[in-house]
Amino acid sequence: MTTPTAINKTPPIEQKTFDKHVSNTGAALNDTMIEVSSLNFSIKNNAILKNLSFSVAAGEVYALLGGNGAGKSTTLKTLLGFNKPTQGSVKVAGKEVTQALDFVRGKTAYLPESATLYPHLTARENVEYFLSLADIKKSDEQINAAFNRVALQRDAWDRHMQTYSKGMRQKTAIALAILREAPIFLLDEPTSGLDPVAIDEFNQLVRELALTGATILMVTHDVYGACQVANRIGLLKNGELVGEYDAPQSGRIDTEQVHAAFGHHANRGA
Amino acid sequence: MSINNFSKVVIVAKDEWRYWLRSKLAMTVLAIGLVLTVASVIVTAITMMELSHTRHELQATSDKSFVDQPDRHPHRMVHYGHYAFRTPSPLSTLDPGIDAYTGNSIFLEGHRQNSAMFADSRQGTALTKLGSLTPAFIVQTLAPLLLILIGYSGISRERESQTLSYLLSQGTSGATLIAGKGLALLSVVALILTPLTISALFTLGSGEGLLAVASFVLGYALYLIVWVLLILLASSVFSKNSGSFTALAFVWILLCIVMPRVASTTASTAVSSAGKIETDFAVKAELRKLGDGHNTNDPAFKQFKQSLLNKYNVSSIDELPVNFRGLVASESEAKLTSVLNKFAEQRMQAELKQTQVSRYFGWVSPMVAIRSLSMIVVGTSIETHHRFLRETEQLRFDFVQGLNKVHVEKLSYQDDMNRNADTAATQKARVSAQNWQILQDFTFNVDSSKARAQRSIPAFLQLLLWIAVLLGGIKFVGRRLL
Repeated sequence: MTTPTAINKTPPIEQKTFDKHVSNTGAALNDTMIEVSSLNFSIKNNAILKNLSFSVAAGEVYALLGGNGAGKSTTLKTLLGFNKPTQGSVKVAGKEVTQALDFVRGKTAYLPESATLYPHLTARENVEYFLSLADIKKSDEQINAAFNRVALQRDAWDRHMQTYSKGMRQKTAIALAILREAPIFLLDEPTSGLDPVAIDEFNQLVRELALTGATILMVTHDVYGACQVANRIGLLKNGELVGEYDAPQSGRIDTEQVHAAFGHHANRGA
Repeated sequence: MSINNFSKVVIVAKDEWRYWLRSKLAMTVLAIGLVLTVASVIVTAITMMELSHTRHELQATSDKSFVDQPDRHPHRMVHYGHYAFRTPSPLSTLDPGIDAYTGNSIFLEGHRQNSAMFADSRQGTALTKLGSLTPAFIVQTLAPLLLILIGYSGISRERESQTLSYLLSQGTSGATLIAGKGLALLSVVALILTPLTISALFTLGSGEGLLAVASFVLGYALYLIVWVLLILLASSVFSKNSGSFTALAFVWILLCIVMPRVASTTASTAVSSAGKIETDFAVKAELRKLGDGHNTNDPAFKQFKQSLLNKYNVSSIDELPVNFRGLVASESEAKLTSVLNKFAEQRMQAELKQTQVSRYFGWVSPMVAIRSLSMIVVGTSIETHHRFLRETEQLRFDFVQGLNKVHVEKLSYQDDMNRNADTAATQKARVSAQNWQILQDFTFNVDSSKARAQRSIPAFLQLLLWIAVLLGGIKFVGRRLL
């Protein structure tokens, strides 16, 4: 088991197309966008999160890794303001979540484990609906461009989503996040249930988003997938951060090392 | 510029409509609801208009039949009797209320108070006795069910498909989402109420008061708002569509089917009233003490006879300047009516108390509240029926006593006593048919719309309390929606 290391700045990543994702918040690449400090969360005296601290910077992909019941989804829900911390601080884009809920939710794109969206609507109608709720107006061309960027097949754009696979639904949700210009992505088990091709496509998409300056926090129990896509990995066990691993200059984390720390809870994924 | 909350509410409501339009079940339910409402409004309006026309005609025929009678002995006309018809209030086309059970006409004759008759429910076949598909029944009973069928999954569907957390995470608040779903359901309420409102507005042309029409439409709107809020609350509380639907179906059965019957049973148990046979025996016993008004020698009239002899300072009834038989009939009718009225008042007071007890159940069942409100406002409540009974009884008493007065003043005692001697004597014991003109025109009007609206205030308060409590519940749940 590794002792958690305090890391304020992420390792540098290749800055190809750093764009408006970060500029939207006034933040610069490597600025801390998510900061969790000494977070405790309990339900009826049952501690779910214990003194949890980590941070994620703009342009970084951070994978919070853990088994079932480790507290991964609870952490995401706390970042979204669905859970009120018992103790500690949770800041998103520099603001305390509990005090600036609307601001925080306006900056984050959350993808639940099963991002079903609305099955009775087409991908385009789904996107338009959520954008209209956020009072964001985008032309058909801009929506098409977002669909193209996430590699959603053209013939699916105007098809009801009840015919979509999970991978296609996730692409639609990410296209929506891109159109919302959300600088922060919170992904809950994003590759769970995807086939290997879809996982590769998704990981590629996540890396591309990070290169544009997006802040990405994903929770997963897939050690292998996390090591492929993340700049850093935090290991969560029984609500405690028991280890953090950085990607070296190669950009890849040693899967075996994390796997060993993860122990028998590990899942090699696809 | 950030989008305001109301715009978000409208966007959510529009999307809910889009979901309904693409869902076969929702569209089927909506279509059935609208067709039923429109059809029932049309059919009931035609039926009631025909009924109103028929009653007007029958009243005129009955009046004419009475005054067209030839010269007769006045007491034969007392027993010939007369019909009084109640013309329905214009709004009763939408809610026949208790008229369907109490009857709409009454046969008026001497020495007895008849019950109202020709109730629709008694005239039909066994199947129609189960009740008609009136607009009131559809909106009170079926409309909540239709609203449940299209609205039960409003919020729980979002939760079940995880779009709820997705929506909330993007800055749409739980309150906005619930309000949007509520707005969509309210638009369905508006659709359901449109035929009812148009029909209600048409009654203005038939003399109905604006206040009554406004109270009627507002009452039903509040009632359906209660159901919209119940649906939103259940859908917000339950995590599964099945849970929401089961809970709402149970609530519908409880509030629309069980509670009205519990209210009636409790009312009849809490306020006991004598049964018809028991009352008839009691009335007969009282009447026996009064003596037989047809028999001038009945000991019961001994004192009356003596007082008359004293009054006119004569020694025998033959010397009286007026017809003693007529006076006895008049005296007997007055006493008999007093006894009958006492029992009738007791019965009506018991019915009123039972109704009041039943109406208290409006605090626990919006169905009971709207049923009371509707009948009161349209003028088909127990109060209106009692007024009809009192007015027709006054009409009966006046016309019987009018005939008795003719008996007293236009027919001599001697001719009267000899009436069965021979044909000529019988002819001589008749009075002119001109005397039948004593019959007063009878037109029954329901209470003023202001009086009806005032009487319906408790039911309005019951519905408003339901709305306040449910809004509180939804506000509480909305803050914790996830």
